[in-house]
Amino acid sequence: MSQPIIEPIEKYGLSKRSRRRTLFSKIGVVGCGNEGSAIATIALLNGIEVVFLEPTEEKIANAFTRIERKLNKRIQNWGLTENEKKIALSRVQGTTKYKDFTGCDFVIEAVRYDDQTGERHVEERKEVFLQLEKVLSPQAIIASNVSTVVITELASELQYKERCIGLHFLSNVPGSNIIEIVRGLYTSDETYEKICQFARLINHQYVAVAESAGLVSIRLFLIELNEACEMLMEGISNVEDIDKVLTVGFGHRLGVFRTADQMGIEKIVKLMENLYQEYGNQKYKPSPVLLRLSRAKHFGVKKGKGFYEYDESGNILK
Amino acid sequence: MKILVLNCGSSSVKYRLLDLENNKVLGSGGVEKIGMKGSFLKHIRQDHQTVILEGEVLEHQTAIEYILGVLTSAKHGCIKSLEEIDAVGHRVVHGAEKFNSSVLITNEVIKKIEECIDIAPLHNPPNLAGISAISELLPTVPQVAVFDTAFHQTMPEYAFMYPIPYSLYTKYGIRRYGFHGTSHRYVSHRACEFLNMDYNRTKIITVHLGNGASITAIENGKSIDTSMGFTPLEGLMMGTRSGDVDLGIATFLMEKEMIGPSALSTLFNKHSGVLGVSGISSDMRDIETAIANGNERAKLALDMYEYRIKKYIGAYVASLNGVDLIVFTGGVGENQAGTRQNIMKGLTYLGVEIDEEANASARGKEALISSAGSKVKVAVIPTDEEFMIASDTMEIINEMKKQ
Repeated sequence: MSQPIIEPIEKYGLSKRSRRRTLFSKIGVVGCGNEGSAIATIALLNGIEVVFLEPTEEKIANAFTRIERKLNKRIQNWGLTENEKKIALSRVQGTTKYKDFTGCDFVIEAVRYDDQTGERHVEERKEVFLQLEKVLSPQAIIASNVSTVVITELASELQYKERCIGLHFLSNVPGSNIIEIVRGLYTSDETYEKICQFARLINHQYVAVAESAGLVSIRLFLIELNEACEMLMEGISNVEDIDKVLTVGFGHRLGVFRTADQMGIEKIVKLMENLYQEYGNQKYKPSPVLLRLSRAKHFGVKKGKGFYEYDESGNILK
Repeated sequence: MKILVLNCGSSSVKYRLLDLENNKVLGSGGVEKIGMKGSFLKHIRQDHQTVILEGEVLEHQTAIEYILGVLTSAKHGCIKSLEEIDAVGHRVVHGAEKFNSSVLITNEVIKKIEECIDIAPLHNPPNLAGISAISELLPTVPQVAVFDTAFHQTMPEYAFMYPIPYSLYTKYGIRRYGFHGTSHRYVSHRACEFLNMDYNRTKIITVHLGNGASITAIENGKSIDTSMGFTPLEGLMMGTRSGDVDLGIATFLMEKEMIGPSALSTLFNKHSGVLGVSGISSDMRDIETAIANGNERAKLALDMYEYRIKKYIGAYVASLNGVDLIVFTGGVGENQAGTRQNIMKGLTYLGVEIDEEANASARGKEALISSAGSKVKVAVIPTDEEFMIASDTMEIINEMKKQ
């Protein structure tokens, strides 16, 4: 058998016209921590190419490990094959440079929470938006993974403000295929429509929520958590039993305390303080139980201790 | 008449350009990894030279554009201009109850195919993408849709219904549709031609063993039962699909392993079958190698695979009240003499008598593998769905011209 002839394909096109790119064939993620890598993984699994940015090569390597761990978990649960994992990983690229986002039609900022303070600095995120505007085309969407009032502020210094939008993935709840889409004051209808299309592309349901502290998901969750902590203090029930009522009784996936441990207690305290500040209502004030855990640095799964105790792979120790 | 046959999958487009009157393949090949990194077009010229064209192919429309570009190129092509293409035949996976034969594609037909998306969410959309690409690129060329399910539309109601609440049939169209119809139709026809039997007066069991596997009972030219059902998961054990299992396993696992519907579907479709049991591979050649090396799980996988085929043949002999002809096809059916032999050894009660030599030497070519004295004829017929699609297309175009 003779050797195959190998040539580039381009000259065999029928017309010279530039090829139509499918929208969202390549997206970017800034910050590939827990939430960033969850978003990247979802996109990869739906056939989208992903470029993610981290400040150092070491952090890039860590992000790859996180993505791979997420994929492995899917294989363990029968939801993915080795081969599909390989294909997914072939679609992802890590970088330290913004210019590698060139050609993306959508980039989402998911800068992680500060390890010490549990905050995401607005100034840092503004800088991300400005950097993104330099390398992206004016039509490209710039999004932020948000649960607080911030998208309008992040957009305010950009030249093309109408392309900014907030998204909230419930990445701490496994299998929760829903996105809260947050329109800022500047967000155009076109941007919103495109994001709805993106959500469908990654097989997620979506709801539109007005820019507000905590949106629907976080606001409801925090109130529930605060009330559950109240019950602990009153001695009405214990951690396991309260989660049992929620999981068995109401069909919640994890229960309120386990979800809190997944999210990180320090983040939760910050979010509550933010809501308390925004709404001024006592009910958002973090419960002393949460403050106590936070001060002890019992942040949850990642510290091996929160409401529950965990082993290294995040399983509850009995 | 030159006919282009297209088979659009979720990330691939396979094609073949045939000159039917002169019975020649002018060019064939496929585009793989559409929308992914490393996409390429592999073209096989008439002189059998392989040409690989590498580059970005983001969607089906672009893939088809490149296919047409290669076919008309001076360097590797086989036609001078696109006008030489008289018609395009498309493989369409699911025609539900709306189509019982191949049809000329019209706006109304497209609408009906779209309506089938609900029950074939993975397959029909790329088929439709291929149709719309051709409508745009070759607007005057007639197109024909050939359905995987159409041949089985002759199944009687008692064979296609599931014993579950009838309302689910009326509400969602849950019933057995069967797949691989084009292949079963082609090989059964071809076997009768090859053996000089009357297609319309013969009881045939066709055994299609490829990546997917299905088996069909054909009486007097009509499919009366087939092993695949509402989805291609039912029936025989396959490379990575389980085939028939107790549904109780699904509900049991959902609870035990805390998994949802999509993981469950991956488990039965991709982690099961020969791969799942052997833990080695879904490819029968790898399994045979492993067995030769003494691997017991590989042996078990093969035993199960063959046993389940034999069991289905037995069931269909009963459905047909006898059988005159058994036909093997598909990658495994055409090439694995050992598997064919093991299956036939268990059918001696029917009067099947194997010609061991003929069986051993039949690899990927048409052959009679039963002995002269065998009460039931057994044949190997390599499947050729593209030819069937092209020939249906020609028939419909000729019909159209007459009117």
